[in-house]
Amino acid sequence: MKNKIFILLVLCFILCGCSNYRELNDLAIVTGVSIDKAKEGYKLSFLIANSQKPQTSSKEGEAQTTVYSGQGQNLTEAIKTIEAKSPKQLYYGHINVVIISEEVGKDGFLKIADLLLRDPETRKQFYIMQARDVEAKDILKIVSPLEAFPSQNIATLIQSNQQNQSFSVEINYSLFLGQIIDEGYDPILPSITIKGDVEDGSKEKNLESTAPETYLKLGPMAIYRDDKFIAYATEDESQNINILNDNIDDIKYNFQYNDMLVAYTSDSLKTKITVKSPSNLEIKVSSTGFISEINGNVDLEKKETIKKMQEKLSNSVKKDLEKTLKSLQNKYQADVIGFGNMIYKKYPDKWKKFEKNWNETYFPDLNIEVKTDFTIEASGSLDQTIKEVLT
Amino acid sequence: MVAINKNAQEVLTETKNLYRQSGDLNTRLIKVGKKNVGVIFMESSSSTQTISDFIIKAIDYVGNNPNGLFKNLYHHLKNNIFNSQVLTTKDFTEFSYYISAGFTLIVVDGMDEAIVLETRAQLDRGVTESTSEPILRGPKDSFTESHAKNLGLIRKRIKDNNLWFDEIKVGRRTKTRVSIAYLSDVAEEKNIKQIKKQLQAVNVDGILDTGNIREYLTEQSSSFPQILSTERPDVACQALLNGKIVIMVENSPFVLILPNVFTDFMHTSEDQFQKPFNMTFTRLLKVLSLIITLFTPAVYIAITTFDQAVVPDQLLISLAIQREGVPFPTAFEVILLMTVFELLRESDIRLPANMGASMSIVGALVLGQAAVDAGIVSPIAVIVIAFTSICSLIFNDPDFINGIRTWRLIFILAATFFGLIGLVAAVLMFLIKLSSLETLGTSFLAPFSPLNLDAQRDTILRFPMPRILKRPEYINQKNVIKQGGKYEK
Repeated sequence: MKNKIFILLVLCFILCGCSNYRELNDLAIVTGVSIDKAKEGYKLSFLIANSQKPQTSSKEGEAQTTVYSGQGQNLTEAIKTIEAKSPKQLYYGHINVVIISEEVGKDGFLKIADLLLRDPETRKQFYIMQARDVEAKDILKIVSPLEAFPSQNIATLIQSNQQNQSFSVEINYSLFLGQIIDEGYDPILPSITIKGDVEDGSKEKNLESTAPETYLKLGPMAIYRDDKFIAYATEDESQNINILNDNIDDIKYNFQYNDMLVAYTSDSLKTKITVKSPSNLEIKVSSTGFISEINGNVDLEKKETIKKMQEKLSNSVKKDLEKTLKSLQNKYQADVIGFGNMIYKKYPDKWKKFEKNWNETYFPDLNIEVKTDFTIEASGSLDQTIKEVLT
Repeated sequence: MVAINKNAQEVLTETKNLYRQSGDLNTRLIKVGKKNVGVIFMESSSSTQTISDFIIKAIDYVGNNPNGLFKNLYHHLKNNIFNSQVLTTKDFTEFSYYISAGFTLIVVDGMDEAIVLETRAQLDRGVTESTSEPILRGPKDSFTESHAKNLGLIRKRIKDNNLWFDEIKVGRRTKTRVSIAYLSDVAEEKNIKQIKKQLQAVNVDGILDTGNIREYLTEQSSSFPQILSTERPDVACQALLNGKIVIMVENSPFVLILPNVFTDFMHTSEDQFQKPFNMTFTRLLKVLSLIITLFTPAVYIAITTFDQAVVPDQLLISLAIQREGVPFPTAFEVILLMTVFELLRESDIRLPANMGASMSIVGALVLGQAAVDAGIVSPIAVIVIAFTSICSLIFNDPDFINGIRTWRLIFILAATFFGLIGLVAAVLMFLIKLSSLETLGTSFLAPFSPLNLDAQRDTILRFPMPRILKRPEYINQKNVIKQGGKYEK
C-alpha cells in the first residue's frame, strides 16, 4: 500500500515533467498583435513588451517595445518569419490587444479566427479592434507618454472611453466570435485611428513633448454583418447602439430646451428590450441623472420646469434612438443589437422562417417601439442658474 | 546495594578512593568520646558555611552523650534544621550522587547507616528577564538553571495541591533530576505513565539540557517540532492549566511542554494578556505569514519559469525586465539568496551582541544591494527572499522556523522541476505528513483535523476569556470545564 502511494506520488511528478520550463528572460512577451492584409495572404505584427532594459535604471515604466512583422499565406507562416527575426522565444500568454485592418474585416474575420482561438497559450479575453484609415501595424507603434507600452495604452484608452465618451465599446475576442456565430446577431468592433504622423509617433520624441504630436484616437463602431465589415457608424449612432445594448451607465447628452442647450449627465442608464411578437419589439430606456450645464435663464427650483425638461429630454433621446434604429434597419441592415437572437430565443419555431433572409427582409421590417423615461433628480450643486446665483 | 562499612575511618578512605585525587572532596574525622564521626562533603558544590554552622555545632552538642550518638545526631539535625533535607541511607552506592549533588554525609563508628544532609551551594544566577521570548505585556521572569527555583516559579503561580511534580533521575553519570509537572485531576494518567516509561528507558551517560531529553520523547521523525520548549513560567503554567504536561530538567532554563498541536507554535503568552480582538488579528497575521514564508519562493519560481500565464500583464513585464541580464536560472538565484540569508541568520545568533552592527552592514549593503547592482541576482528575487525571511521570523520557536525552512526548500525543488503542479503535489505531501503526526494521542493538526468547534475559541481566533469555557478537549477529556462549572477540590 505504502509503495503504491509512493509510486503514485513519484508518477505525478514525472508525468507533469519540465518540458514547458522557460526562463522569463528568454521570452519575448507579445502584448499586441496586428493583422493586415498583404498582397498574398496576411501581414502579422507582434508588439513585444520586454525588448530591452534601459541602461541607466530599471525603474518601472521604462520598458521599451519592439514591433516585429512577418508575412505569409496564413498566420502560421507569418509567425514563422517573425520567429526567424526574434532572438527570444515568442510568448503569447499575455496578448492584450489584437488590431485588424479594414481589409481583413472586409475579407471575413472567420478566415483568421482559428489561430488565436486554437492556441492553448493565449487568453481569449484580449480586446479586439479595427484600425480605421491606417494600417493596423502602425497602431502598435504609437507610444504614449502616459502608459508604459502601446498595448497598455490602447487597453486603458478603450476601458476609460466606454465610461466617459460612450461611443466606443469594449469587445473581447470570445465575445466577438460569439456574436459572429450566434443566431440573429451581427457583431460590432470599436475602431481606432492615428492622429498625426505615424513615423513621429513611433519615436521616443513623441514622449518628450508635452503635447504629443501623434496620438491614438478611438473612433466610432465598425459594423459587421456576420463576419464581414460593412461600414462605420457615426459617433451619435455608436452612442445610441451602446444605449440600446445596455452597455453603458452614464452618458452625457445635450438637448434643446427653450432655445437653450442643456447638458444632461445620466448616472444609471437601463435598457430593457421585450419581444412582444415575432415582428414587434418594445425598448424601454430609463435613466436618472442630473443637469450638468445650462447656459441660460431657467428657474430650476420649480417642479414644473423640471418636468418639462424631462419630457423634452425623453423625447429627444427617443427621436435619436429611433433614427439610429432606422439606419441600422435600412442603411446597414445589420442587427447589432441582437433582436433576431431575442426572437430566436422566444420563438424558436418562427425563427426558422426568418433565418435565411433576416438581414435583408425581416429585420428592416421589424416594428420597434421605443419608450424613454428620463428623470432629472438633481441639478448639480447649483439650484438656480448661474445668473440667479450671482445677482 | 553495597553496605556501608561500620568503621568511619574506613568509610572515609573508601569514599576518597571513589574520587581519587579530586581536590574538592573534603573529609573530616571528628573524635567524639571513643567514637569516630566522619563528615564527607564536596567543597565545590556545597555550602561550607552551612556545614560549619550546623553540622560541626551539632556534633559538638550531641557529643556529650556518646550513647546512641547516631540517633541523637540525626534527631538533633532533623529537629533543628528546617531549610534543608535530612535523610539517612544504608547504601554506599548512593554516596557518590549525594556528594556530587552538594550533600554532606555523616557516618558514625559502629553504624551501617549514614546521615545525609542537604547543603547545596547556590551555583546559579538569579531569576532574570526572558531573552529568547520577549513580550510587551505580561510577566517578565524566566526559568533559570536552578531546579528548585524553576519548580518554585511554577508552584507560586498555581497554588493547588493537584499540581504534582514527579521526579526521575536520568543519565548514568549526570543523574540529572527530571521533574514531570502536571495537574493530577486534569492530565491523562496514561500520558504521564508513558512519559515516565520513556524517561526511565533512557540509558545514556549524560543529560545536560531539556534539548537532550526531548529527543527521547519525540516519537515521529519530522522537521516540525512536536514538543514546545519555553523559558517562560507563564507559558508553562498556561500549558499546565490546559492539561498539558511540563517536563523540567535540572540545570536547564528551558522546560518542555507536550502534547502540542500545530497552532501552539504560532501562539505567544501575550495572546492571553492583550485584547482578544486585536490578538485574533495578530494570529491571522501569523497564519498569513506562515503561508507567505512557506510558499512565496516556490510560487515565484513556478510562475516565472512555468506558468507565466497566471501573472498579470504589467507585473510579468516588470519581472521580465528585472530578470534581463541575470546569468543564473531563477531557481538557482532563489536558493543562492536563501542560503545567504540562512548564513546571516546563523552567524547573527553566534555573534556577540556588540559585533552585530558590522554584520548588518555586510549583510544588507554588500550582499543585498551590491549583488543586485552587479547583476548577479535580480531585485525581485531579493524582495522575495527578504519577504519570506521576515515572515518566518515572526515565530519564536527556532525549531518551528527550521521546520518551515525544510519544507520551503522541498516546495522550491518541486516548483523548480515541475511548476505549479509539482508545487501542489508537494503541498499535498506536506499536509499528509502533518496530519500523520501525533503526540500522546493528540493529532498534530487538531483542532482542525479532527475538527473541534469548541476548541476554535482559542486557536486562530481568540475569544474573550470569559467565553473560553473549556480546556482543549483534544488533549484530554478527563476534566474539560475551565470556568463556570463547579470547581472540584
